[in-house]
Amino acid sequence: MPAPTTAALVTRCQALFDDLSFGAAREWKAAAAGRRVVAYMPIYVPRELIHAAGMLPLGILGAGENLEVIHGDAYYQSYICRIPRSTLDLGITGRLDFVDGFLFPSICDVIRNLSGIWKILFPKVYVHYFDVPQNFDPEVGGVFYRQELQELREALARLAGRPITDDALRASFALYNQNRRLVRELYAFRAGAPWRAPASETYLVLRAGMVLPVEEHNQLLADYLAAARAEERPRRDNCRIVLNGVFCEQPPLSMIKAIEMSGCYIVDDDFMLVHRWLLEDLPVTGDPIAALSTAFLSGSTENGAKYQPRQELKGQYILEAVRANAAEGVIFAAPSFCDPALLERPMLEKVLDRVDVPHIGFKYAENSAQLQPVREQAGTFADSIKLWSTP
Amino acid sequence: MTITAGIDVGTGCVKVALFETGGGTVRWLGRRVDRIRQRDPYALTAEAFDGVLKEAGLGRGDVAYTATTGDGESIAFATGHFYSMTTHARGAIHLDPTTRLVLDVGALHGRAIRTDARGKVLSYKMTSQCASGSGQFLENIARYLGIAQDEIGTLSLQGTAPEKVSSICAVLAETDVINMVSRGISAANILKGIHVSMAQRLAALVRGIGVLEGTVLVTGGLGLDAGLVAAIQEAGAEAQLPVQVRSHPDAIYAGAIGAALWGAFRHQKLAAQVAASPAAS
Repeated sequence: MPAPTTAALVTRCQALFDDLSFGAAREWKAAAAGRRVVAYMPIYVPRELIHAAGMLPLGILGAGENLEVIHGDAYYQSYICRIPRSTLDLGITGRLDFVDGFLFPSICDVIRNLSGIWKILFPKVYVHYFDVPQNFDPEVGGVFYRQELQELREALARLAGRPITDDALRASFALYNQNRRLVRELYAFRAGAPWRAPASETYLVLRAGMVLPVEEHNQLLADYLAAARAEERPRRDNCRIVLNGVFCEQPPLSMIKAIEMSGCYIVDDDFMLVHRWLLEDLPVTGDPIAALSTAFLSGSTENGAKYQPRQELKGQYILEAVRANAAEGVIFAAPSFCDPALLERPMLEKVLDRVDVPHIGFKYAENSAQLQPVREQAGTFADSIKLWSTP
Repeated sequence: MTITAGIDVGTGCVKVALFETGGGTVRWLGRRVDRIRQRDPYALTAEAFDGVLKEAGLGRGDVAYTATTGDGESIAFATGHFYSMTTHARGAIHLDPTTRLVLDVGALHGRAIRTDARGKVLSYKMTSQCASGSGQFLENIARYLGIAQDEIGTLSLQGTAPEKVSSICAVLAETDVINMVSRGISAANILKGIHVSMAQRLAALVRGIGVLEGTVLVTGGLGLDAGLVAAIQEAGAEAQLPVQVRSHPDAIYAGAIGAALWGAFRHQKLAAQVAASPAAS
């Protein structure tokens, strides 16, 4: 059988992306009796715990641009972002009726409140507000987080109807370690040759990991990398940019394409950080809960939803992303009313201004249809970098 | 010497410009305008580009940088793409170095672009709301009146009592025109009225952007419409704008010219970066 092409792989990922009934996850559940699916929202949950219980972690990132929100507007005011409304619509219209549990991680007040609404609307679904530490002292945040993880482990074991053993956890660690390595490899490949792995494609490949079992996603990542390496594509004279702020509510896919078509190669981004939250492999020996806790406290990515106690380090991660990927500028794109992204932006801009890294910013919603302003801003930004920046 | 090409894919036309630059000189090698007329713009672009190259005795491999602009982002054989404001500013400076503001009036938009002497965009404003300030609207009206497009400007200049039309909504403006026809208003006065209406919107853009010196160059497809240019000049004089409004016989190529010249600039910059890189030493 010939190796799949990038086009074939991306077509499959696009079908998964377009499917708002989550057919792949439904099929997985129906394939064997007693299987359970646990949904989660951005930014991070320890998917290893769900996997080790024999259940499927299912990432929910709203409903995108193809679902008209009707019910969700009754629960949230107009000054709240769109992801909770469209997620509610997914639930109320029965598109998530196969989901047995739902984890709402600590990212902002809106998602926390959504966990409460979900509990009331869907009493048969196991709902868990997953809190994470904002204190990184192992004796304070570490103790707290280990308790949270243990509590979640026990709750998921009850839902699965079987214990989550240390060995099962370590086996899951190994699979997710492989997933993170492949994702890192994909980002490195794209940063090296962005014309061979456009962000509009890598986005879909990563997005597939929200609905596929990790074993299948690992294969998909490996296949895409192999196919992208084997295919030559024309290189354009585009500028290299880091895209920041897109970690929760997702922009329409056409917005990613519009940025690229405007003359920008996206060489780093913060899409679906759950894939990249832990920066290094989890150890497959020793206490797995302690390993997850230590990785979160001292080996996890930085983001607007995570507290940085040292002021001198605040925002350095954006500078590191620029330097490590030889980026020439930063595009801040944030969902309207997204507190974590929009409150973080001025602090990041300040860091970039200090070293003269150009940047622009705009807002979007997951159903933004007018992309001309994005084309205009990204296009003129790319031109200004290409023509007027000093190398 | 460096050969570069600029391809401006507009809503109504594809424009190609071929240049040779180097040693402080800039020389036209070829140019071509093709109306799209419901044809595939990408196939037409390739045909126009190859046609210009053939006339100049060149092949694609001779071109150091092929730059697209307008809606040409997806053209596979391009080296790079520049946004249309960037290219119109540079093209206008090439056509008239005293230009400090470009009025780019195309099939679907009008925009004012403030530029410096290098062709760097300093600020801009665009028409919004509706197509009533656009070439497509004017083209539709000409078709209703049974007038060829190249007659619009000449006829409009003959108008002595222009009739006022809506400057906000193309639908209302078209209703205005139907009423005028039934009232026996001459085509010259109808066209002049439309030009005055468009000119007032464009003059408001010039006023809004605050240009205080130099030339306002009208580019884009409507840069060749003498009636519109005259109406903008009159509107500018009425508004006491301290600038000269002009067009240029090659104004329709402004975007393609700018793309080709920025392509040459970018080619040089990239070559300098390669030469300065540690691997080159």
